[in-house]
Amino acid sequence: MQDKILEVDNLKIQFQSFDRRTFKETKIVAVNGIHFTLYKGETVGIVGESGSGKSVTALSLMRLLEEPPSELVSGSILFYPEGGSKPVDFAQLRPDEDMPPYRGKHLAMIFQEPMTSLNPVYTCGAQVAEAILIHNAISKAAAKQKTIELFEKVKLPNPAQMYDRYPHELSGGQKQRVMIAMAMSCDPAILIADEPTTALDVTVQKEILKLTNELQQNFGTSILFITHDLGVIAEIADRVLVMYKGNIVESGNVEDVFLRPQHPYTKGLLACRPPLGQRLKRLPVVSDFMGERVNAITGAKELYEKDQPNIVFNNTISDAEALTKSSKLLENAPMMVVKNLNTWFPTKKNLWGKPIEWFKAVNDVSFNVYEGETLGLVGESGCGKTTLGRTILRLMRPQSGEIIFENQHLEHLEQDALRPLRKKMQIVFQDPYSSLNPRMTIGAAILEPMQVHKIYENDKIRKEKVIELLETVSMTAEQYHRYPHEFSGGQRQRICIARALALQPTFLVCDESVSALDVSVQAQVLNLLMDLKAKMKFTCVFISHDLSVVRFISDRIMVMNKGRIEEIGFADAIYQNPQTEYTQRLIEAIPKGIITK
Amino acid sequence: MIHFILRRLLYGSVVMFFVVLIISSIIYAAPVDPTRMTFGQRSDNATVQAKRKELGLDQPLYVQLGMYMRDILPLSIEGDTPAEKEKYQYFKLFSVGNHNALVFKYPYLRESYQTGRRVSEILSSAIPQTAVLALASMLIATFLGILLGVAAALKPGSVFDTSAIIASVMGYSLPSYIVAMMLALIGGYWLSDWTGLNIQGSLFELDDFGDNRTVWKNLILPAIALGIRPVALITQLTRGTMMDVLTQDYVRTATAKGLRKKIVIFKHALRNALNPVATAISGWFAGLLAGAFFVESVFSYNGLGQVTVTALLNFDIPVVLGSVLFTALVFVVMNVFVDVLYALLDPRIRLN
Repeated sequence: MQDKILEVDNLKIQFQSFDRRTFKETKIVAVNGIHFTLYKGETVGIVGESGSGKSVTALSLMRLLEEPPSELVSGSILFYPEGGSKPVDFAQLRPDEDMPPYRGKHLAMIFQEPMTSLNPVYTCGAQVAEAILIHNAISKAAAKQKTIELFEKVKLPNPAQMYDRYPHELSGGQKQRVMIAMAMSCDPAILIADEPTTALDVTVQKEILKLTNELQQNFGTSILFITHDLGVIAEIADRVLVMYKGNIVESGNVEDVFLRPQHPYTKGLLACRPPLGQRLKRLPVVSDFMGERVNAITGAKELYEKDQPNIVFNNTISDAEALTKSSKLLENAPMMVVKNLNTWFPTKKNLWGKPIEWFKAVNDVSFNVYEGETLGLVGESGCGKTTLGRTILRLMRPQSGEIIFENQHLEHLEQDALRPLRKKMQIVFQDPYSSLNPRMTIGAAILEPMQVHKIYENDKIRKEKVIELLETVSMTAEQYHRYPHEFSGGQRQRICIARALALQPTFLVCDESVSALDVSVQAQVLNLLMDLKAKMKFTCVFISHDLSVVRFISDRIMVMNKGRIEEIGFADAIYQNPQTEYTQRLIEAIPKGIITK
Repeated sequence: MIHFILRRLLYGSVVMFFVVLIISSIIYAAPVDPTRMTFGQRSDNATVQAKRKELGLDQPLYVQLGMYMRDILPLSIEGDTPAEKEKYQYFKLFSVGNHNALVFKYPYLRESYQTGRRVSEILSSAIPQTAVLALASMLIATFLGILLGVAAALKPGSVFDTSAIIASVMGYSLPSYIVAMMLALIGGYWLSDWTGLNIQGSLFELDDFGDNRTVWKNLILPAIALGIRPVALITQLTRGTMMDVLTQDYVRTATAKGLRKKIVIFKHALRNALNPVATAISGWFAGLLAGAFFVESVFSYNGLGQVTVTALLNFDIPVVLGSVLFTALVFVVMNVFVDVLYALLDPRIRLN
């Protein structure tokens, strides 16, 4: 048996929450008496969806949770320092007074958002050197030297120059490398990585995972890797803990959990990722595998496994079927024709405010969208896919080129002339949290576009239509008067979809509409979109950085890179036989969920 | 950066032009004859008319305006005579024609109708007093405000936080002249034996022998009176932005590094919370530089505010115009300064 390094026992954490309706303090249990052990040199993955308590667990290990509102109710977090001295129980220490000497030195952490995890007003080098200087009695010059060495180890380009760069001058992947350098700076025994690659492109994710593996081998660090993505876990972890609503529902070796999952939740989670090998009619969701019922004897809620779900059988579409369906779509007339489209942003202006240099976000792009199809638009962040999506809806003004929608030129239309067209063209945005007005009930939010465009005679009929729409997206009529903050991310995205469909558009752009959602929720929303599309017959441009999602939902795929179109073709063809090197790299980088270690 | 500052100052001069235009029009439209104000009751019509002619007040507005503009422009063509040179105190660049010269000069703000002193002289004796007062009160306000704001933000909802908010709302709602009168009464009269402060007085005063002396203690009460409202404002602003910044990921990163809480707050969080606070401070500071009319009057403090108020009462147009022009200049310069300050505080902002 290897040496224990961290042992968590019966850890229970709850949050105080103030209910504005009832004016009562309630306690929400985020982590409910979990137990796990971390051994020296291993990587343990914690997987679960948002709200499962995985991030709370990660933060609590270093006592980084604000107290209040959080409260460590019971349990112990035993840390075994090197050299076999007596273990320290972090749960007994005071976070502000006693924890700082351990943080950064023995336990270090990398966070999800590299964009916001570094302080914008200090240089990257200074922030890493600061971490070194806290825990080591060395000179500033030596700390700088060590920082540059670390930058070299995490493979940042021009380490010496990077020292003086500010975070905003770096890309997301580079920032995460700086974070890793900071975490590794004092050679910690444990590295806690909280969704470190979730916000990154797949290609960057692959490199970061490779780097973490390498560093672990060199430093012998134990890693606790938290993620919602089972594919990533398979590539990096030795053991897995599956968390669901504050409990660890399953744990074991990666192989066991992946190949022989025991708990229905794990089974559901494994099934709901869009598979890469085959085309499914619809995605399985967790509720296909697992239900919740009240135990007749104890009266407590319990989880149970559903009978072998039908979803697994008779769910695939054969290649021939897919091809006939897609080719038939191309026989339709193109609904939208885009010719030599350019959307540029000025980056430099002269003394008189006239732009002299441009960033070419969309650079000479031409394509057709055929009636009834779903065109997937995929590329890494910064490739211009969002700008393209917004330009073809004329939410942005193009520099030059043509946008022809239903035989009408859009590129030069003014706002007034565009307004009637807005009825036909709608968009669903990425972030369901910020795209709904927090001061408007969801009913009013869906009602508003109908009022603006004066469809249906009066508000009474419109309201009925709103309720109908809510029911279509699997919500209830009672929720009409609720406000956005009362809903989860998945529910909000369904509300946004309902709002977009309120005008019965013929053309819908989904801009990363499922990217901010958990895999299981993502599966629900994707299924919903498929159903709605079959029912309402709209044409869709689906923008995403996730090739597996795009492949599931699209008839054709368009790959974008640096403002230009790399290639365009049938979804299967692109995936099975990518023509350009860029697309190959993109497909290569997707975590396959195959155990590699 | 240089480009940016130049362009902004260029815009600023346009602002100044309109300020002069608007103020002159208002004064022109007012049914008051400044010359009569100079002579008082017993002047005869002929003298008044002669004086009007001398001051150019008989001319239409646009002529008057044109003349004033020529006076305040640093680069202009003036008569090449000793008298003109004496009047404008210019530096001759080169001759234009036989009698004129292109000259470089300080803006000539003319002379007071009332005292005959040069306006620039009047202003330059008042401005330092006001500047020191403004600086003192803003220093108090900034220091206290940021400290209170940070302390309140650390424990939102606590007794300290709630009382800080209540106190700052009260402080903000109190008109500064009420505070000034209360302070003068309590600090400078009732408790004056104990505090040793005067009820009235300026920073620079003439002593009994006619010499200039600096009385620092006269600064204390007016500075507090002027500082109370900005303290309240800065407290609330700092609290708000600080609470926002404290939830940011990089603050958590700093804590996870093993930094002590104090360093996390003052080094990592505060620096990011300062931008909106800097705007408020500099805006308020500019406002104070323009003269604190009420507070200066209450304390008989010989600053710009009091000079302006007296000039307005006497319809002393050159003094009024001069001080308004100075105020506009302060705001223009301050705005540019704030933008440069932003760029220094936050490396993400580039001047462009």
